[in-house]
Amino acid sequence: MNGRDGRDEQDVLRRVGEASVLILISLADGPKHGYALIQDIKALAGVELGPGTLYGALDRLERLGLIEPLPADDRRHPYRITAPGAAALRVHLDSLERVSAAGRLRLRLGGI
Amino acid sequence: MDEPRATRLVQTVLRCYPARWRRRHGNEAAELAALLIRDGTRASSIVWSYLAGAARAWLTPRPGRRLSTAACALLVAAGSLGVSAGLLATTVPARAAVTSQPHGSAHCRPGPVEPAPGVIPAMGRPRVISREAGHGRSC
Repeated sequence: MNGRDGRDEQDVLRRVGEASVLILISLADGPKHGYALIQDIKALAGVELGPGTLYGALDRLERLGLIEPLPADDRRHPYRITAPGAAALRVHLDSLERVSAAGRLRLRLGGI
Repeated sequence: MDEPRATRLVQTVLRCYPARWRRRHGNEAAELAALLIRDGTRASSIVWSYLAGAARAWLTPRPGRRLSTAACALLVAAGSLGVSAGLLATTVPARAAVTSQPHGSAHCRPGPVEPAPGVIPAMGRPRVISREAGHGRSC
């Protein structure tokens, strides 16, 4: 996690915030629009994303090329994850897994 | 808060977003707010979320706006530098006058020196005192 093997450079999601990561996770199984994203993230992670936060994160992810809008369905704009978005999410989740494993190991070693 | 009033409030808050954002998300954002209110989400939390989002939308630099943002940052930096220099200039003469008094030497007396024409008095004074103060010797 300290950049020894260049992992930090690859993990572009490290600094985008929790909302953006949750949106990417939600879009990983298929395109969704705003309301569906909020509902899915609430069920998935127990996090209630505010609509302002949602649109801010969607704009940021789109600017980074990690998601793309699909043709509007009535008023709603569905989004889908792009190939670079899926790759970035995989790298980030791998990184979280390593941290999680290290944390569990230390808890065991500390006898807590 | 009743639903029509909450919807009106959300519409008002959505007007705080930049026009570019409203064209893109405006209709969907209003519909999303209506759905969330119907689901039981408090209107106040939706309004606050949109208000914070609007502030972020204005503050986030767009690729096309980078140059003007950089120009603004430079202007602010130059302004604060000017203020700092002005403050420094007003404190240095006072300090110089205090440090030169105990010796009482004739070489160290600044005397009644007029600032050079075109020089701001506050900025010009410290330079004049150091020249009068014995050719680089400390007084």
